[in-house]
Amino acid sequence: MSFLTPLLLAAIAALGVPVLIHMIQRQRTDIVEFPSLMFVRKIPFHSMRRQRVRHWLLLLLRCAALALLVAAFARPFLQSAALAAVTGGSREVVILVDRSYSMGLANRWERARDAARGVVRDLASDDLATLIFFDSGAQSGARSTTDRASLLAAIDAAELSAGTTRYGPALQLAQGILEESEQPRLETVLISDFQRVGVDSAANTLLPPGTVLTPVSVADDTESVNISVAGASVQRDIFSGRERATVTARLANRGGVPVESLQVALELNGRELESLPVTVGANSSATVTFAPFTVEDTAMPISVRTEGDALPHDDVFHFTVSAGDVVPVLIIGSPGAGEANLFLVRALGIGTSPSFEVTVRSVDQVTADDVAEAAVVVLNDVGLPSGPNGAAITRFVEAGGGLWVVLGERVRWPGDNLALLPGTVDAPADRDGRGGALGFVDYSHPVFEVFSTPRSGDLTSPRFFRYRPLDLPPDASVLARFDDGEPALVEHAVGAGRVLVWTSTIDSFWNDFALKPIYLPFAHRVVQHLADYNQPTPYLTVGQVLDLAQYPGAVELDLTSANLVVRDPLEERVNAGDDGRAGFIELSRPGFYEIRDTDASDTGLVRVAVNVDLDESNLEPVDPDELVAAATGRAGGDREVTTERELAPEALERRQTLWWYLLIGALGFLAAETVVSNRLSRTELDPD
Amino acid sequence: MSTVATTSPGARFIDPKVLARVGSLELAARIVVEGFINGLHKAPYLGVSVDFAEHRGYMPGDDIRRIDWRLFARTDRYYVKQFEADTNTNFSVLFDVSKSMSFGSRGLTKLDYGRFLAACLSYLSHKQRDRVGIVTFDEDIVERVPPSAKHFDVTLHTLDRMTAGRPGALGPPLYKATEFFKRRSILVIISDFYDEPEKVLDAVKPLRFAGNDVIMFHVLDPAEVDFPYDESSSFQDLETGRKIPVVPDKLREQYRGLVQDHIEALTSLCSQNRIDYAFLNTKVPLDPALFKYLAMRHKMTKVR
Repeated sequence: MSFLTPLLLAAIAALGVPVLIHMIQRQRTDIVEFPSLMFVRKIPFHSMRRQRVRHWLLLLLRCAALALLVAAFARPFLQSAALAAVTGGSREVVILVDRSYSMGLANRWERARDAARGVVRDLASDDLATLIFFDSGAQSGARSTTDRASLLAAIDAAELSAGTTRYGPALQLAQGILEESEQPRLETVLISDFQRVGVDSAANTLLPPGTVLTPVSVADDTESVNISVAGASVQRDIFSGRERATVTARLANRGGVPVESLQVALELNGRELESLPVTVGANSSATVTFAPFTVEDTAMPISVRTEGDALPHDDVFHFTVSAGDVVPVLIIGSPGAGEANLFLVRALGIGTSPSFEVTVRSVDQVTADDVAEAAVVVLNDVGLPSGPNGAAITRFVEAGGGLWVVLGERVRWPGDNLALLPGTVDAPADRDGRGGALGFVDYSHPVFEVFSTPRSGDLTSPRFFRYRPLDLPPDASVLARFDDGEPALVEHAVGAGRVLVWTSTIDSFWNDFALKPIYLPFAHRVVQHLADYNQPTPYLTVGQVLDLAQYPGAVELDLTSANLVVRDPLEERVNAGDDGRAGFIELSRPGFYEIRDTDASDTGLVRVAVNVDLDESNLEPVDPDELVAAATGRAGGDREVTTERELAPEALERRQTLWWYLLIGALGFLAAETVVSNRLSRTELDPD
Repeated sequence: MSTVATTSPGARFIDPKVLARVGSLELAARIVVEGFINGLHKAPYLGVSVDFAEHRGYMPGDDIRRIDWRLFARTDRYYVKQFEADTNTNFSVLFDVSKSMSFGSRGLTKLDYGRFLAACLSYLSHKQRDRVGIVTFDEDIVERVPPSAKHFDVTLHTLDRMTAGRPGALGPPLYKATEFFKRRSILVIISDFYDEPEKVLDAVKPLRFAGNDVIMFHVLDPAEVDFPYDESSSFQDLETGRKIPVVPDKLREQYRGLVQDHIEALTSLCSQNRIDYAFLNTKVPLDPALFKYLAMRHKMTKVR
């Protein structure tokens, strides 16, 4: 119980008035003058007062009436807890249990479940509870139930996941439950190891006012060894005509204890190929490089595994290695102008992922077969060949091929194939002095995306002395312009394919672009974009959703097939398409997912490597109060204080009606006092 | 007047209330003193003479007028003559005229009683050719009449017109008065001594240590001693004005005990410090006080 105007309680001092009246009889008005009260003052006070209370009943009645009056004016009201007690008391309790894989460290998971069981057992009979297990997502069982048995059963059946800790989804789910609740008291119990990695996700979550969020930490301060395989890179080379891969694994030690002679094994399809010892210092990392192995055509499931430690989930790293991709490029140049292709050929000759298979033909030698075998055709300073070759290139583009048109001195474009160009080409234009530079670049385009971040290449460094102006329609897609506004690179869609037009040369005649470091990535990005090349993904992360339609390794699968079988790393069958959205797989376990169409014998097995999110390996804790403060909007130290929920005016008024009863009580006492005092007065006046 | 002059044995015990009706202080003092002396038939304590005591060698600083030249003529050495006592010594009354002294429950205030006492003692001293003076004080020195053979009248006049009006204190004025008595004197302090006994003695001791013979007359009204009040009332301190509701029935015994303790403590402390102390109740005639005084004069002669 509390008071609306507690200051008025100071008036309780008025209780002294009747006491004084009773204790001290009417003072005599005559004053006795005395030389000195030195001796009188030395006598204890009580002997100077009239201390005998004559009418105890009257005194009590007066005191009670005054006390009730003061209490009534102080406007007492019932707080939620008290009201809950009055009305039978019920809470809405949401129990959040962290089941991310870091909870597998030591006995954290068991302690978390014990804590959850304790909360369930402490529930009153009319308390409503919801159990939510969360990692990067949150799942709740039966909502707002009073069935403690089912809650305990759910806790017993719960398992650790391979996901990461994110408090946001769990708190948002709890927020929704609490906001819908009718219960007078809202409570949330958060059982976790309180890793810092998950805190950011809770930034925008605010539990309803009045919610008591109680953190239960199962983390302990004991230092334990935590080695994780943080990643692996594959170096490819060609040996005896076969492609070989060399795996280098990176190991991180996030604990304060150095580890020596740790055995790290390279596994292929579950079989160990090689095992090497490695030493990792405390809070540092180390790499280990295995012997090369020959790459097969199909995706090879490779794992790097270390000896088990306290946290086993991050001790293994899965990825796939498949034969390197090759992009065939056909460069058609002018006869006798081999030097014009030199820079492009050299640039495309570098790189393994993908590697480019470059074929150079002069415009008079090129055949329709050459065009058909290419993924990208480059018309380097030549116009579209006339006759069947030109028609073949047009068909090639319309069928989805990529064409890079480089406009140089010699380009004469035949009038009947203007559809391949975004506009008409004018005569060469010169830039005087130091020449021009690129003035506008669309960094959001895949070609220039790699240059968008700072210090990743200065596209304004090349100087352009001559270019071929393009007369473009207003809606043309210009990816780059010179500083005088003329287009430098224009994209043009033709059928299913795409055409990129570069209005200057790709050698060193009209510009010095080919001499700049950015030339090589630029040429690679242009060709990859035209070839619609996607980098194969060596692995995915637990929690991601695999879209088979977009997964490079699974393009040949018929996603509408009823016989599409997906098995997770534990060989359990996974449903690959619900409610008509075929081909979406939620990756929940680390290891290799296998996808195959049992009907189509010609399509091979598709393997997808899945790893745990290594952020979870970072066990750095956060102060639970910090999280409580973020989720409740008040300091963690205040979590014991139950603030008042927003109540309807009727409910508020109902809680404050106590003053009525107090006032009635006071009036009753005053009436009794009147009767008693009158009777006493009569008795004293008339003793007989 | 004739009543007072009677020679009957009890006549000398004049009620101070009656004495208060006598207008002239000198007359009142004479009535008391002469009646008192008459009753003694003989005055064994009087007649202190100037008797030669001894010679002593001259010391630098001695008054050369006191050199016995005859002896010098005989011995060719300087000797100083020493006498038994100076008959005409200094006599001063230090009178407390603080507000509390104006209290009197029987029509006679302590101030009046003290006034007669001081007049009587002065008269006695004057009769013996002592030099008489007076100092009145409350919280400070109010008036001062230096001791002189010619100041008897002034002293009486001062006694006559003094009034009690201000709060009192013993320490500061008595300390200041110490400076007045360079010559060894008989000092009579008349006060109600409303202070802690230790503080009273602390105030008086400097006078004693200066070589004076000090007699403290502790004057209290019978109401102050017996606390004869019945009705519970608000008692007001005359000096501080502070009021305290008092139920006399409840505290009378304790009060009387405290007053007696106070008197006993003063008696004891004065005795320890060789200060004469006499407690006087204003309902009692002045004779005991005079006896006390004369006894002290007698003692002085014995000691020397």
